[in-house]
Amino acid sequence: MIGLFNFMRNKRVFMLMIGFILFIAIIGFSLSDRKELTWPEKFLKDTSGFVQQWFYKPAGYIAGFFEDIRDFRMIYEENERLKSTVAAYARDKVEYNFIKKDNERYKELLGFSEQQKQMYDYNYLIAQVISISNDANNRTMTINLGSKHGIEKNMAVTTVDGLVGLVSSVTPFTAAITPITELNETSPTFNSISATIEGRENESFGILSSFNKETNRILMTRIGENDKMEIGDTVITSGLGGVYPRGLRIGTVETKQVGDFGLTYTASVKLATNFDHLAEVFVVQAASSEENAP
Amino acid sequence: MSMNRIVAIMLLLFFIEGSLMPWIIPEGYGSRIIPHFIFVFVLFSALYGNRHMALLLGAGFGLLQDVVYFGQLLGLNFFAMGIIGYFTGVLLERKRATVMMAITVIGFACILYDTALFFIYQVFRITSASYAWALLNHILPSLFLQLAFALVCYVPVRRMFESRKETGENGEEE
Repeated sequence: MIGLFNFMRNKRVFMLMIGFILFIAIIGFSLSDRKELTWPEKFLKDTSGFVQQWFYKPAGYIAGFFEDIRDFRMIYEENERLKSTVAAYARDKVEYNFIKKDNERYKELLGFSEQQKQMYDYNYLIAQVISISNDANNRTMTINLGSKHGIEKNMAVTTVDGLVGLVSSVTPFTAAITPITELNETSPTFNSISATIEGRENESFGILSSFNKETNRILMTRIGENDKMEIGDTVITSGLGGVYPRGLRIGTVETKQVGDFGLTYTASVKLATNFDHLAEVFVVQAASSEENAP
Repeated sequence: MSMNRIVAIMLLLFFIEGSLMPWIIPEGYGSRIIPHFIFVFVLFSALYGNRHMALLLGAGFGLLQDVVYFGQLLGLNFFAMGIIGYFTGVLLERKRATVMMAITVIGFACILYDTALFFIYQVFRITSASYAWALLNHILPSLFLQLAFALVCYVPVRRMFESRKETGENGEEE
Protein backbone atom coordinates (compact mmCIF):
# COMPACT_ATOMS: atom_id res chain seq x y z
CA MET A 1 0.00 0.00 0.00
CA ILE A 2 2.79 2.40 0.92
CA GLY A 3 4.65 1.37 -2.22
CA LEU A 4 1.62 2.18 -4.32
CA PHE A 5 1.28 5.54 -2.57
CA ASN A 6 4.90 6.39 -3.31
CA PHE A 7 4.40 5.37 -6.90
CA MET A 8 1.35 7.55 -7.33
CA ARG A 9 3.14 10.49 -5.76
CA ASN A 10 5.73 10.26 -8.45
CA LYS A 11 3.12 11.36 -10.95
CA ARG A 12 5.56 12.50 -13.57
CA VAL A 13 7.14 9.08 -14.04
CA PHE A 14 3.70 7.51 -14.07
CA MET A 15 2.43 9.84 -16.79
CA LEU A 16 5.62 9.32 -18.77
CA MET A 17 5.09 5.57 -18.75
CA ILE A 18 1.48 5.95 -19.89
CA GLY A 19 2.58 8.33 -22.63
CA PHE A 20 5.22 5.89 -23.77
CA ILE A 21 2.75 3.00 -23.92
CA LEU A 22 0.35 5.20 -25.90
CA PHE A 23 3.18 6.10 -28.28
CA ILE A 24 4.09 2.45 -28.91
CA ALA A 25 0.42 1.60 -29.39
CA ILE A 26 -0.06 4.35 -32.01
CA ILE A 27 3.09 3.30 -33.86
CA GLY A 28 1.96 -0.32 -33.83
CA PHE A 29 -1.42 0.73 -35.17
CA SER A 30 0.11 2.75 -38.00
CA LEU A 31 2.58 0.01 -38.94
CA SER A 32 -0.15 -2.59 -39.35
CA ASP A 33 -1.17 -3.20 -42.93
CA ARG A 34 -4.02 -0.76 -43.32
CA LYS A 35 -6.09 -0.69 -46.48
CA GLU A 36 -7.68 2.66 -45.73
CA LEU A 37 -7.29 5.58 -43.39
CA THR A 38 -9.67 6.04 -40.49
CA TRP A 39 -12.29 8.77 -40.83
CA PRO A 40 -10.73 11.28 -38.37
CA GLU A 41 -7.54 11.11 -40.40
CA LYS A 42 -9.45 11.64 -43.65
CA PHE A 43 -11.31 14.58 -42.19
CA LEU A 44 -8.15 16.25 -40.87
CA LYS A 45 -6.27 15.70 -44.12
CA ASP A 46 -9.08 17.04 -46.28
CA THR A 47 -9.53 20.10 -44.12
CA SER A 48 -5.86 20.96 -44.02
CA GLY A 49 -5.51 20.19 -47.70
CA PHE A 50 -8.28 22.66 -48.43
CA VAL A 51 -6.39 25.41 -46.58
CA GLN A 52 -2.95 24.43 -47.84
CA GLN A 53 -3.83 24.91 -51.49
CA TRP A 54 -4.45 28.62 -50.83
CA PHE A 55 -0.83 28.91 -49.80
CA TYR A 56 1.01 26.61 -52.17
CA LYS A 57 -0.47 27.70 -55.49
CA PRO A 58 0.01 31.50 -55.20
CA ALA A 59 3.53 30.96 -53.86
CA GLY A 60 4.23 28.77 -56.87
CA TYR A 61 2.91 31.39 -59.26
CA ILE A 62 5.06 34.12 -57.73
CA ALA A 63 8.17 31.94 -57.75
CA GLY A 64 7.36 30.86 -61.29
CA PHE A 65 7.05 34.48 -62.40
CA PHE A 66 10.59 35.28 -61.24
CA GLU A 67 11.94 32.15 -62.86
CA ASP A 68 10.23 33.15 -66.12
CA ILE A 69 11.99 36.53 -66.08
CA ARG A 70 15.30 34.75 -65.61
CA ASP A 71 14.50 32.44 -68.51
CA PHE A 72 13.71 35.23 -71.00
CA ARG A 73 17.20 35.23 -72.39
CA MET A 74 17.14 31.56 -73.22
CA ILE A 75 13.82 31.68 -75.06
CA TYR A 76 15.35 32.22 -78.51
CA GLU A 77 17.63 29.20 -78.27
CA GLU A 78 14.87 27.12 -76.80
CA ASN A 79 12.60 28.08 -79.67
CA GLU A 80 15.15 26.93 -82.24
CA ARG A 81 15.55 23.63 -80.43
CA LEU A 82 11.80 23.13 -80.19
CA LYS A 83 11.35 23.82 -83.92
CA SER A 84 13.70 21.00 -84.85
CA THR A 85 12.00 18.73 -82.31
CA VAL A 86 8.61 19.49 -83.84
CA ALA A 87 9.91 18.66 -87.31
CA ALA A 88 11.20 15.32 -86.03
CA TYR A 89 7.91 14.74 -84.25
CA ALA A 90 5.88 15.32 -87.41
CA ARG A 91 8.04 12.78 -89.27
CA ASP A 92 7.67 10.24 -86.49
CA LYS A 93 3.94 10.82 -86.17
CA VAL A 94 3.32 9.47 -89.69
CA GLU A 95 5.38 6.40 -88.95
CA TYR A 96 3.66 5.97 -85.58
CA ASN A 97 0.21 6.03 -87.17
CA PHE A 98 1.17 3.30 -89.60
CA ILE A 99 2.67 1.12 -86.91
CA LYS A 100 -0.29 1.69 -84.61
CA LYS A 101 -2.72 0.62 -87.31
CA ASP A 102 -0.65 -2.46 -88.10
CA ASN A 103 -0.46 -3.30 -84.42
CA GLU A 104 -4.20 -3.09 -84.00
CA ARG A 105 -4.71 -5.34 -87.02
CA TYR A 106 -2.28 -7.93 -85.59
CA LYS A 107 -4.01 -7.87 -82.23
CA GLU A 108 -7.29 -8.51 -84.00
CA LEU A 109 -5.77 -11.41 -85.96
CA LEU A 110 -4.20 -12.95 -82.88
CA GLY A 111 -7.48 -12.74 -80.98
CA PHE A 112 -6.46 -10.47 -78.12
CA SER A 113 -9.06 -10.16 -75.41
CA GLU A 114 -10.52 -6.76 -74.57
CA GLN A 115 -8.53 -6.64 -71.34
CA GLN A 116 -5.24 -7.37 -73.06
CA LYS A 117 -5.90 -4.65 -75.62
CA GLN A 118 -6.50 -2.01 -72.98
CA MET A 119 -3.61 -3.04 -70.78
CA TYR A 120 -1.39 -0.17 -71.81
CA ASP A 121 -4.02 2.55 -72.24
CA TYR A 122 -3.01 5.03 -69.60
CA ASN A 123 -4.90 8.08 -68.52
CA TYR A 124 -2.94 11.00 -67.06
CA LEU A 125 -4.66 13.10 -64.41
CA ILE A 126 -3.10 16.50 -63.73
CA ALA A 127 -2.76 17.26 -60.02
CA GLN A 128 -1.35 20.18 -58.03
CA VAL A 129 1.04 19.58 -55.18
CA ILE A 130 -0.33 21.42 -52.14
CA SER A 131 2.18 20.67 -49.40
CA ILE A 132 5.39 18.85 -48.60
CA SER A 133 6.12 17.20 -45.27
CA ASN A 134 8.66 18.91 -43.03
CA ASP A 135 10.25 15.69 -41.88
CA ALA A 136 13.62 14.78 -43.35
CA ASN A 137 12.97 11.05 -43.15
CA ASN A 138 9.48 11.17 -44.55
CA ARG A 139 9.12 13.50 -47.51
CA THR A 140 5.45 12.77 -48.16
CA MET A 141 3.77 15.16 -50.59
CA THR A 142 0.07 15.95 -50.77
CA ILE A 143 -1.83 16.55 -54.02
CA ASN A 144 -5.25 18.09 -54.50
CA LEU A 145 -6.95 15.10 -56.13
CA GLY A 146 -8.50 12.29 -54.13
CA SER A 147 -10.71 9.26 -54.35
CA LYS A 148 -13.59 11.44 -55.58
CA HIS A 149 -11.50 12.15 -58.70
CA GLY A 150 -10.57 8.52 -59.26
CA ILE A 151 -7.23 8.33 -57.50
CA GLU A 152 -6.46 5.00 -55.87
CA LYS A 153 -3.71 3.68 -53.69
CA ASN A 154 -0.53 2.53 -55.48
CA MET A 155 -0.99 4.64 -58.60
CA ALA A 156 2.25 5.95 -60.04
CA VAL A 157 2.92 9.69 -60.10
CA THR A 158 5.23 11.38 -62.61
CA THR A 159 6.24 14.79 -63.83
CA VAL A 160 7.34 15.80 -67.29
CA ASP A 161 10.90 14.83 -66.29
CA GLY A 162 10.28 11.44 -64.74
CA LEU A 163 8.83 9.25 -62.04
CA VAL A 164 8.05 10.97 -58.73
CA GLY A 165 6.59 8.20 -56.61
CA LEU A 166 3.56 6.25 -55.61
CA VAL A 167 0.22 7.24 -54.09
CA SER A 168 0.43 5.91 -50.54
CA SER A 169 -2.91 6.91 -49.07
CA VAL A 170 -6.08 8.51 -50.36
CA THR A 171 -8.76 10.67 -48.78
CA PRO A 172 -11.84 11.96 -50.62
CA PHE A 173 -10.16 15.20 -51.76
CA THR A 174 -6.42 14.73 -51.30
CA ALA A 175 -3.85 12.01 -51.78
CA ALA A 176 -0.43 11.48 -50.23
CA ILE A 177 2.53 10.61 -52.44
CA THR A 178 5.52 8.70 -51.16
CA PRO A 179 8.45 9.93 -53.27
CA ILE A 180 10.75 7.43 -54.94
CA THR A 181 13.54 8.62 -52.63
CA GLU A 182 11.91 6.57 -49.85
CA LEU A 183 12.46 3.38 -51.85
CA ASN A 184 14.08 0.89 -49.54
CA GLU A 185 14.44 -2.87 -49.66
CA THR A 186 13.88 -3.32 -45.94
CA SER A 187 10.91 -0.96 -45.72
CA PRO A 188 7.62 -2.80 -45.25
CA THR A 189 5.58 -0.44 -47.41
CA PHE A 190 7.40 0.26 -50.64
CA ASN A 191 7.73 -2.17 -53.54
CA SER A 192 10.73 -2.55 -55.79
CA ILE A 193 10.42 -1.28 -59.35
CA SER A 194 11.24 -3.40 -62.37
CA ALA A 195 13.07 -1.33 -64.94
CA THR A 196 14.49 -1.54 -68.41
CA ILE A 197 16.43 0.64 -70.84
CA GLU A 198 14.80 2.98 -73.33
CA GLY A 199 15.30 1.67 -76.86
CA ARG A 200 16.13 -1.90 -75.75
CA GLU A 201 13.01 -2.73 -73.80
CA ASN A 202 13.12 -6.44 -74.56
CA GLU A 203 16.84 -6.95 -73.94
CA SER A 204 17.67 -5.14 -70.73
CA PHE A 205 16.21 -5.74 -67.30
CA GLY A 206 16.97 -4.70 -63.75
CA ILE A 207 15.26 -4.13 -60.44
CA LEU A 208 15.42 -0.77 -58.68
CA SER A 209 15.70 -1.90 -55.11
CA SER A 210 16.73 0.99 -52.89
CA PHE A 211 17.55 4.67 -52.87
CA ASN A 212 20.84 5.60 -51.28
CA LYS A 213 20.25 8.93 -49.57
CA GLU A 214 23.94 9.52 -48.99
CA THR A 215 24.86 9.45 -52.66
CA ASN A 216 21.44 10.47 -54.05
CA ARG A 217 21.39 7.53 -56.43
CA ILE A 218 19.06 4.59 -56.91
CA LEU A 219 20.60 1.14 -56.83
CA MET A 220 19.61 -1.12 -59.70
CA THR A 221 20.26 -4.80 -59.07
CA ARG A 222 19.89 -8.16 -60.84
CA ILE A 223 21.14 -7.02 -64.22
CA GLY A 224 21.95 -9.99 -66.42
CA GLU A 225 25.57 -10.90 -67.14
CA ASN A 226 25.36 -10.27 -70.88
CA ASP A 227 23.11 -7.27 -70.64
CA LYS A 228 24.29 -4.49 -72.96
CA MET A 229 23.44 -1.71 -70.54
CA GLU A 230 25.79 1.25 -70.90
CA ILE A 231 26.57 4.30 -68.86
CA GLY A 232 24.33 7.18 -69.90
CA ASP A 233 21.39 4.99 -70.94
CA THR A 234 17.91 6.12 -69.94
CA VAL A 235 16.16 3.88 -67.43
CA ILE A 236 12.39 3.50 -67.73
CA THR A 237 9.83 1.35 -65.93
CA SER A 238 9.16 -1.95 -67.67
CA GLY A 239 5.59 -2.46 -66.49
CA LEU A 240 6.36 -6.01 -65.30
CA GLY A 241 5.06 -6.63 -61.82
CA GLY A 242 1.84 -4.77 -62.29
CA VAL A 243 2.21 -1.86 -59.89
CA TYR A 244 4.03 0.64 -62.08
CA PRO A 245 2.82 1.39 -65.61
CA ARG A 246 5.38 0.85 -68.33
CA GLY A 247 7.41 3.53 -70.05
CA LEU A 248 7.80 6.08 -67.25
CA ARG A 249 11.25 7.65 -67.30
CA ILE A 250 13.26 7.23 -64.10
CA GLY A 251 16.80 8.43 -64.75
CA THR A 252 20.14 7.66 -66.34
CA VAL A 253 22.68 4.94 -65.62
CA GLU A 254 25.78 6.37 -63.97
CA THR A 255 27.97 3.43 -63.00
CA LYS A 256 27.82 -0.31 -63.53
CA GLN A 257 29.72 -2.88 -61.53
CA VAL A 258 29.73 -6.57 -60.66
CA GLY A 259 27.21 -7.39 -57.94
CA ASP A 260 27.65 -9.03 -54.54
CA PHE A 261 27.89 -12.64 -55.70
CA GLY A 262 29.61 -11.98 -59.02
CA LEU A 263 26.77 -13.47 -61.04
CA THR A 264 24.79 -10.32 -61.76
CA TYR A 265 25.60 -6.67 -62.22
CA THR A 266 24.43 -3.67 -60.26
CA ALA A 267 24.16 -0.11 -61.50
CA SER A 268 23.55 3.23 -59.88
CA VAL A 269 20.89 5.39 -61.48
CA LYS A 270 20.67 9.17 -61.27
CA LEU A 271 17.08 10.37 -60.93
CA ALA A 272 15.62 12.53 -63.69
CA THR A 273 13.14 14.28 -61.40
CA ASN A 274 13.97 17.28 -59.28
CA PHE A 275 11.92 17.13 -56.10
CA ASP A 276 12.25 20.81 -55.18
CA HIS A 277 9.63 23.33 -56.27
CA LEU A 278 7.29 20.70 -57.65
CA ALA A 279 4.06 22.27 -58.87
CA GLU A 280 2.19 19.99 -61.26
CA VAL A 281 2.37 16.22 -61.30
CA PHE A 282 0.57 13.57 -63.34
CA VAL A 283 -1.15 10.62 -61.74
CA VAL A 284 -1.13 7.64 -64.08
CA GLN A 285 -4.44 5.86 -64.19
CA ALA A 286 -4.33 2.46 -65.82
CA ALA A 287 -7.35 1.61 -67.98
CA SER A 288 -8.02 -1.65 -66.16
CA SER A 289 -8.25 0.03 -62.77
CA GLU A 290 -10.61 2.61 -64.20
CA GLU A 291 -13.02 -0.14 -65.19
CA ASN A 292 -12.93 -1.67 -61.76
CA ALA A 293 -13.83 1.63 -60.14
CA PRO A 294 -17.54 1.98 -59.46
CA MET B 1 -3.14 36.91 -25.30
CA SER B 2 -5.78 34.23 -25.28
CA MET B 3 -5.10 30.58 -26.02
CA ASN B 4 -7.28 30.83 -29.12
CA ARG B 5 -4.99 33.46 -30.62
CA ILE B 6 -1.93 31.32 -29.91
CA VAL B 7 -3.51 28.26 -31.52
CA ALA B 8 -4.59 30.33 -34.53
CA ILE B 9 -1.06 31.69 -35.01
CA MET B 10 0.39 28.19 -34.72
CA LEU B 11 -2.08 26.84 -37.27
CA LEU B 12 -1.01 29.59 -39.66
CA LEU B 13 2.63 28.62 -39.05
CA PHE B 14 1.76 24.99 -39.70
CA PHE B 15 0.38 25.83 -43.13
CA ILE B 16 3.28 28.15 -43.89
CA GLU B 17 5.92 25.55 -43.11
CA GLY B 18 4.20 22.90 -45.21
CA SER B 19 3.09 24.95 -48.20
CA LEU B 20 5.06 28.19 -48.37
CA MET B 21 8.52 27.22 -47.15
CA PRO B 22 9.17 24.66 -49.96
CA TRP B 23 9.03 27.61 -52.37
CA ILE B 24 11.20 29.93 -50.29
CA ILE B 25 13.99 27.44 -49.70
CA PRO B 26 16.35 27.65 -52.71
CA GLU B 27 16.31 24.87 -55.26
CA GLY B 28 18.64 22.02 -54.42
CA TYR B 29 18.27 22.49 -50.67
CA GLY B 30 14.71 21.23 -50.42
CA SER B 31 15.65 18.09 -48.54
CA ARG B 32 18.44 19.71 -46.54
CA ILE B 33 16.89 22.77 -44.94
CA ILE B 34 13.71 21.71 -43.21
CA PRO B 35 11.55 24.11 -41.20
CA HIS B 36 10.32 23.16 -37.72
CA PHE B 37 8.61 26.43 -36.82
CA ILE B 38 5.87 24.74 -34.81
CA PHE B 39 8.48 23.08 -32.64
CA VAL B 40 10.28 26.40 -32.03
CA PHE B 41 6.94 27.87 -31.00
CA VAL B 42 6.34 25.01 -28.58
CA LEU B 43 9.75 25.68 -27.04
CA PHE B 44 8.88 29.36 -26.63
CA SER B 45 5.69 28.36 -24.87
CA ALA B 46 7.77 26.17 -22.53
CA LEU B 47 10.26 28.98 -21.82
CA TYR B 48 7.81 31.83 -21.33
CA GLY B 49 4.53 30.06 -20.62
CA ASN B 50 4.42 26.93 -18.55
CA ARG B 51 5.29 23.28 -19.03
CA HIS B 52 1.71 22.01 -19.27
CA MET B 53 0.93 24.41 -22.08
CA ALA B 54 4.06 23.24 -23.91
CA LEU B 55 3.02 19.61 -23.46
CA LEU B 56 -0.47 20.28 -24.78
CA LEU B 57 0.62 22.40 -27.75
CA GLY B 58 3.47 20.01 -28.63
CA ALA B 59 1.34 16.88 -28.47
CA GLY B 60 -1.60 18.49 -30.28
CA PHE B 61 0.34 19.99 -33.16
CA GLY B 62 2.63 16.96 -33.31
CA LEU B 63 -0.39 14.74 -33.81
CA LEU B 64 -1.78 17.11 -36.44
CA GLN B 65 1.50 16.95 -38.31
CA ASP B 66 1.64 13.16 -38.01
CA VAL B 67 -1.84 12.73 -39.43
CA VAL B 68 -1.59 15.29 -42.23
CA TYR B 69 1.80 14.06 -43.48
CA PHE B 70 1.23 10.39 -42.72
CA GLY B 71 3.84 8.33 -44.53
CA GLN B 72 4.78 5.26 -42.54
CA LEU B 73 4.49 6.00 -38.84
CA LEU B 74 1.96 7.85 -36.73
CA GLY B 75 2.67 9.37 -33.35
CA LEU B 76 6.33 10.34 -33.77
CA ASN B 77 5.96 14.09 -33.61
CA PHE B 78 3.14 13.72 -31.11
CA PHE B 79 5.53 12.08 -28.70
CA ALA B 80 8.77 13.91 -29.49
CA MET B 81 7.35 17.43 -29.54
CA GLY B 82 5.24 16.92 -26.44
CA ILE B 83 7.96 15.41 -24.32
CA ILE B 84 10.78 17.73 -25.38
CA GLY B 85 8.52 20.73 -24.82
CA TYR B 86 7.49 19.46 -21.41
CA PHE B 87 11.02 18.80 -20.15
CA THR B 88 12.26 22.14 -21.45
CA GLY B 89 9.49 23.63 -19.33
CA VAL B 90 10.49 21.55 -16.28
CA LEU B 91 14.07 22.75 -16.59
CA LEU B 92 13.58 26.40 -17.37
CA GLU B 93 10.10 27.74 -16.71
CA ARG B 94 11.08 29.18 -13.29
CA LYS B 95 13.95 31.21 -14.71
CA ARG B 96 13.40 34.23 -16.90
CA ALA B 97 15.52 33.20 -19.85
CA THR B 98 17.50 35.85 -21.72
CA VAL B 99 17.85 35.98 -25.50
CA MET B 100 21.12 34.07 -25.57
CA MET B 101 19.77 31.51 -23.15
CA ALA B 102 16.59 31.00 -25.17
CA ILE B 103 18.45 30.68 -28.48
CA THR B 104 20.92 28.17 -27.00
CA VAL B 105 18.13 26.07 -25.52
CA ILE B 106 16.17 26.14 -28.77
CA GLY B 107 19.28 25.11 -30.72
CA PHE B 108 19.98 22.13 -28.49
CA ALA B 109 16.32 21.11 -28.39
CA CYS B 110 16.14 21.18 -32.21
CA ILE B 111 19.17 18.91 -32.49
CA LEU B 112 17.65 16.59 -29.89
CA TYR B 113 14.32 16.53 -31.71
CA ASP B 114 15.84 15.74 -35.11
CA THR B 115 18.08 13.12 -33.54
CA ALA B 116 15.16 11.46 -31.78
CA LEU B 117 13.16 11.35 -35.03
CA PHE B 118 16.11 9.94 -36.93
CA PHE B 119 16.73 7.13 -34.45
CA ILE B 120 13.07 6.15 -34.23
CA TYR B 121 12.95 5.90 -38.02
CA GLN B 122 16.14 3.86 -37.93
CA VAL B 123 14.72 1.45 -35.34
CA PHE B 124 11.78 0.76 -37.64
CA ARG B 125 14.13 0.39 -40.62
CA ILE B 126 12.52 3.16 -42.62
CA THR B 127 15.82 4.92 -43.11
CA SER B 128 19.14 3.18 -43.51
CA ALA B 129 21.43 6.20 -43.58
CA SER B 130 24.08 6.77 -40.92
CA TYR B 131 23.68 9.36 -38.19
CA ALA B 132 26.84 11.25 -39.13
CA TRP B 133 25.45 11.76 -42.61
CA ALA B 134 22.04 12.85 -41.33
CA LEU B 135 23.71 15.35 -38.99
CA LEU B 136 25.60 17.02 -41.82
CA ASN B 137 22.88 16.62 -44.42
CA HIS B 138 19.85 18.09 -42.73
CA ILE B 139 20.08 18.43 -38.95
CA LEU B 140 22.74 21.15 -38.84
CA PRO B 141 21.64 23.13 -41.94
CA SER B 142 18.05 23.27 -40.77
CA LEU B 143 19.22 24.26 -37.29
CA PHE B 144 20.29 27.62 -38.72
CA LEU B 145 16.85 28.20 -40.20
CA GLN B 146 15.22 27.42 -36.85
CA LEU B 147 17.60 29.76 -34.99
CA ALA B 148 16.98 32.55 -37.46
CA PHE B 149 13.24 32.08 -37.09
CA ALA B 150 13.56 32.06 -33.29
CA LEU B 151 15.57 35.31 -33.35
CA VAL B 152 13.15 37.06 -35.70
CA CYS B 153 10.04 36.25 -33.72
CA TYR B 154 11.64 36.34 -30.27
CA VAL B 155 10.33 39.72 -29.08
CA PRO B 156 6.66 39.45 -30.16
CA VAL B 157 6.34 35.82 -29.08
CA ARG B 158 7.90 36.42 -25.69
CA ARG B 159 5.58 39.38 -25.11
CA MET B 160 2.64 37.25 -26.21
CA PHE B 161 3.34 34.43 -23.77
CA GLU B 162 4.35 36.66 -20.88
CA SER B 163 1.26 38.85 -21.16
CA ARG B 164 -0.77 35.67 -21.08
CA LYS B 165 1.07 34.51 -17.97
CA GLU B 166 0.51 37.80 -16.18
CA THR B 167 -3.18 37.99 -17.01
CA GLY B 168 -3.46 34.34 -16.01
CA GLU B 169 -1.88 35.00 -12.63
CA ASN B 170 -4.02 38.07 -12.05
CA GLY B 171 -7.04 36.05 -12.93
CA GLU B 172 -6.11 33.45 -10.32
CA GLU B 173 -5.62 36.10 -7.65
CA GLU B 174 -8.97 37.60 -8.32
